[in-house]
Amino acid sequence: MEMSKLLIIDDEEGIRKVLSISLASDGYDVLTASTGEEGIEVFKKEMPSIVLTDIKMPGMDGITVLKQIKEINPNAEVIMITGHGDMDSAIETLKLDASDFLNKPIKDDALFVALKRAKERIDIRTKLKTYTDDLENMVRVATEEVKRRSEFQDKLITSSNDGIVATDENGVIVIYNYGAQKIFGYRRNEIIRKTNIEKILPEKLASEFIDGLNNQASANFSEWREISIADKHGKLVPTRFSGSILTENSGIIGSVGFFRDLRELKRLQEELIKSERLAATGQTVAGLAHYIKNILNGLKGGTYVLNVALDKNNTDKVKNGWSMIERNVRRISDLVLDLLTYSKERKPEAEPCFPNEIVEEVCSLMEPRAREHNIEIRKHLDSLVGGVYIDPKSIHRSMLNLVSNAIDACIFDSSPKKQWRVDVYTELQKDHKIKFKVKDNGMGMDKDTKAKLFSTLFSTKGENGTGLGLLVTDKIVKESEGILKVDSELGNGTTFTMYLPYTNLSGAGIS
Amino acid sequence: MAKRVLNVEDDPDIRTFVSTVLEENGYTPIMAKDGEEGIKKVREEKPDLIILDILMPKQSGIKMYHDLKTDDSLKNIPVVMLSGVSRRTFLRSQAALTEFGDETVPEPQAYLEKPVEPEDLAETLKKILG
Repeated sequence: MEMSKLLIIDDEEGIRKVLSISLASDGYDVLTASTGEEGIEVFKKEMPSIVLTDIKMPGMDGITVLKQIKEINPNAEVIMITGHGDMDSAIETLKLDASDFLNKPIKDDALFVALKRAKERIDIRTKLKTYTDDLENMVRVATEEVKRRSEFQDKLITSSNDGIVATDENGVIVIYNYGAQKIFGYRRNEIIRKTNIEKILPEKLASEFIDGLNNQASANFSEWREISIADKHGKLVPTRFSGSILTENSGIIGSVGFFRDLRELKRLQEELIKSERLAATGQTVAGLAHYIKNILNGLKGGTYVLNVALDKNNTDKVKNGWSMIERNVRRISDLVLDLLTYSKERKPEAEPCFPNEIVEEVCSLMEPRAREHNIEIRKHLDSLVGGVYIDPKSIHRSMLNLVSNAIDACIFDSSPKKQWRVDVYTELQKDHKIKFKVKDNGMGMDKDTKAKLFSTLFSTKGENGTGLGLLVTDKIVKESEGILKVDSELGNGTTFTMYLPYTNLSGAGIS
Repeated sequence: MAKRVLNVEDDPDIRTFVSTVLEENGYTPIMAKDGEEGIKKVREEKPDLIILDILMPKQSGIKMYHDLKTDDSLKNIPVVMLSGVSRRTFLRSQAALTEFGDETVPEPQAYLEKPVEPEDLAETLKKILG
């Protein structure tokens, strides 16, 4: 064991021998040297943990030996052997970190105590070293743990799909992840610790951040909201934003903003709408095909009836067959008109006309169908509505659709023994508008049906409807800058109210 | 005496068409425009055959057919279905009514899908009424 290696350096052979024997019997592995120079050589080679050296020696003296040994191994225990009158030198050696000194002649018990102390010091030093090593190890482990945690947080921030931007208390950006890079378009190395938050945010939001950092505003932007970000190239990116001012011990230490990229979401939404529209178009085509097939069957039936009637010279039947053909020709021309109105942008063409007369005409057109199903059409026309400047076709087309729908709502009503009525109103309004109202007491609509009214080509009439009527009416009203309102209750009927703007005849005439 | 045939149909065009076919083939047409009026006319007029549509306002042909076939005094009147709805769908709807606890009813004497040719309708009627 290194611990038990001991070097004796003394020019007196007698002392070397006596000490050697004595210490070897105590269990030390004793090395000896007769000069300082030799001692240093042996020390370098054997690295004993304890050295006993004489101070006064020819050649290299003990003090130099001590200095050199301490240079080689500061932990070596060096015990100085002093002769009479060496006290000053002995004290000096203590300053040079000698462990102890022994006076000649060396007494066994003094030697024993000096060695014991030396061993204790070695022991303590070893223990201390273990402690220090342990401590260092613990610090290293702790540091690693901290590092790992910080890396974890770092990774968390870096790998977040959302853009995360954080600033210090001065608004300088210190965190800017890849998510943020995707949204803002600036590279991380252009931004981090180089740019102020104001540079990359829209003005209004930036001032919120700055005010928040300056504690001027009770900065609370934790609620998610939609914000458009202009990226590096000025392209607008839709995002959802939430942020907050970071505080520690009630002092402001920075700010953070979270930005969710909505581009993909918006794209998906658009795709969904597109595919729904495609599906709706498919349905529409199928529905229209069916509707047209029905009309063709009506025409075919009409020609059959007409042929039979002509063969038999039956005038009544000729009328029947002819009215079948007429009715179906009207259905198909109505359909074509609706399709054209629906598919084309059309500006209303105002001309002098009498809206009440148009409504009368629509009512008389619908009268036969109403009478067939015991439905009463009642007219309540405001005599104040006279001749005005308005688009007669818009009124005709939309009122025809509304009255026809009202009649259907009565026909499809399954309530027993009801007197079905369709009330048609006109009313002059103060703000240069005419109110047209069609009210029925038919089947009415539930919420679902009402919600679908203007959204798609939606028909409650199965193969007897195209779903175009109301869409066309809605479009006409919008093109005329009018208003269309619906009020309905399941089982109690429906009221459509339409407001169309007009110009006075005289005023229009002058211009 | 001419056999009397009731046509229950909401579409006035088809009513005119069917009544013409009926007259042309020597039957007396009776008309009803929905299931409600139809069942009333059946009781009043006791027709020799019923031509029945399915999709009608107020009372559908599905319900009317079931009512006819579960009424002892009416169940023997032959029924010819004339509809845009396919035969399979109609039979399935009848099966559904049965599942809800109603009596099982026999299939109609004939099932014609719209549009029907005058000759096909006439031939079907002739087969049943003789």
